Amino acid sequence: MRPRDRLLKLADHVQRAQLWLAAAALIALMLVTVADVFLRYLFNNPIRGSYDSVESLLLVFVFNGMAAGFFGRRNIVIDLVDTLAGPRATAVLIRVADVLSVLCLGLLLWAMWLPAVQAYHYGDVKMELRIPIYVLWIVALASLLGTMFCALVVLAAKPASADSGRSE
Amino acid sequence: MSPAAIGVTGVLVLFALLILRVPVWIALVLVGFFGNVVLAGWPGAFALAGTAPFDVASSYTLSVVPLFILMGEIASESKLSGELFNAARVILSGFRGGLAVATLAASACFGAVSGSSLANAATMTRMALPELRKAGYDDGLATGCIAAGGSTDILIPPSIILVIYAAIAELSVPKLLAAGLMPGLVLTALYMAVALVVAHVRPDYAPDAENYSLRARVAALREPWQFLALFIVTIGGIYAGIFSPTEAAAVGAFGAILIGMLGRRLGLSDLLRAIESTVVVSCLLFVIVIGANLFSFFIVQGHLPELLLDGARAWNLSGLTVMVLIILGYIVLGCFLEGIGMVLITVPVFQPIVTQFGYDPIWFAIIVVVMVEVGLIHPPVGMNLFVIQAQAPDVRITSIYRGIIPFLVAPLILIVLMFMFPGLALWLPKVLYG
Repeated sequence: MRPRDRLLKLADHVQRAQLWLAAAALIALMLVTVADVFLRYLFNNPIRGSYDSVESLLLVFVFNGMAAGFFGRRNIVIDLVDTLAGPRATAVLIRVADVLSVLCLGLLLWAMWLPAVQAYHYGDVKMELRIPIYVLWIVALASLLGTMFCALVVLAAKPASADSGRSE
Repeated sequence: MSPAAIGVTGVLVLFALLILRVPVWIALVLVGFFGNVVLAGWPGAFALAGTAPFDVASSYTLSVVPLFILMGEIASESKLSGELFNAARVILSGFRGGLAVATLAASACFGAVSGSSLANAATMTRMALPELRKAGYDDGLATGCIAAGGSTDILIPPSIILVIYAAIAELSVPKLLAAGLMPGLVLTALYMAVALVVAHVRPDYAPDAENYSLRARVAALREPWQFLALFIVTIGGIYAGIFSPTEAAAVGAFGAILIGMLGRRLGLSDLLRAIESTVVVSCLLFVIVIGANLFSFFIVQGHLPELLLDGARAWNLSGLTVMVLIILGYIVLGCFLEGIGMVLITVPVFQPIVTQFGYDPIWFAIIVVVMVEVGLIHPPVGMNLFVIQAQAPDVRITSIYRGIIPFLVAPLILIVLMFMFPGLALWLPKVLYG
């Protein structure tokens, strides 16, 4: 197998793992909320910390779910220019978008580092579940790193064609 | 350079990036971040870029988005829409254009459990288009009905775009979901009227259809009970104050899975496909909302709304004139921007202006969403039209364009009605929430 294909395969594994982590978070989010509603209305005994659970699971969901979208170049684009520019010019624009994707993800990662460190030092915790906020920051940064890896592999190893990166 | 000039430059750069095929979220992040660097300095811009992704991704209000998307995906995967269309076809049989009206009715009902216009158009193309063609309907009228019917999805609750709108404009989600219902129903009725007029003017477009007995119609009424149950539990639960939007969406998604599995319409592979699609679609929306956060902060820093407001006052423009200009602007923007992007880019600019002129922000939100609907269906780039063509490649795009044109009158009539009777949007939120 060529190194390029090996890289693509690795990124595919990463995005699939993150996708199913996000899926698990979504199902957990749904079940916690449903259980909370039923326990509240049937037994007047809601789940303690359901609000915190929803917020935390949503964070896991969002940061892990991004990778699949980036790996498939499925971010929403306005592809009007495709009809005017030829396939070669479109491919160049897709490459530019790939570069900007990596740069923007890098920028967000870099910018998120400081508040993550501050969250660690301040020792803030979630109100009801008492989960340290910095743990959530670690999850966010690690997941974003996975997404950035997928975006980098797309830039380095995936051919650019107008079929990839069409608007949703 | 004044902050306002920087703001204007930023908006122009944003449009240039979008036209050059830069993904919407990247364009928003780049313009938002560097605009904030210029206006607020590096530390301020960095602090916002560092905290916005975390805040958006852990926002309880936005947790409703993936859950409502999941409910719609499950409804689509479990082929509930097929039963819905069959029931509508039987109930609304016996008159010329009945199948077109049935398609619109089924789309509106599907909209009551799904919040995505594109999903609605794709699902109804698969379900309704073969039946419409088999009945001898003109391709243009058939696809026009499907595209128009699909667009009502973003107005009839649950609407993803209204939830995101509420988050970005700091409005109440339940109030916005209540405000969308009446205009959504009126728009559906207007679309039906258009379909009937087209069928009357061009009888060759809509041949006479089969007429079912009263007994068959009554029997058909029972078929879509699942949709009714899901709608009553979710949206009824929100309106009645029993559930928060997130709770309603979770119960709705769970209910859709239960109905699908117990009725043996939803297998494990269907469920996994629905979940996978939900993850990808939701997260693509979330990254745009993250970008929109940076961008809207930049718009506020650049005092762009104040600049436009001063301009309107200097030209002695009335509130109505400003609204008409904004609506015309949305028609133009709809030619090249997709719905969520259009909302996230324009609302931070326009909402402060219209509220200064005394318009209700909830009423304005519904106007904006109606204009997004127009953008979804008007040629040359209405996304619903492309979705239909992708599902039915043998239908010529020119037929789809020709078919949708009469339907464009309906949302414009709705806009006029909303100016004449603002209560169309404001009555239900007032009754429910005071």
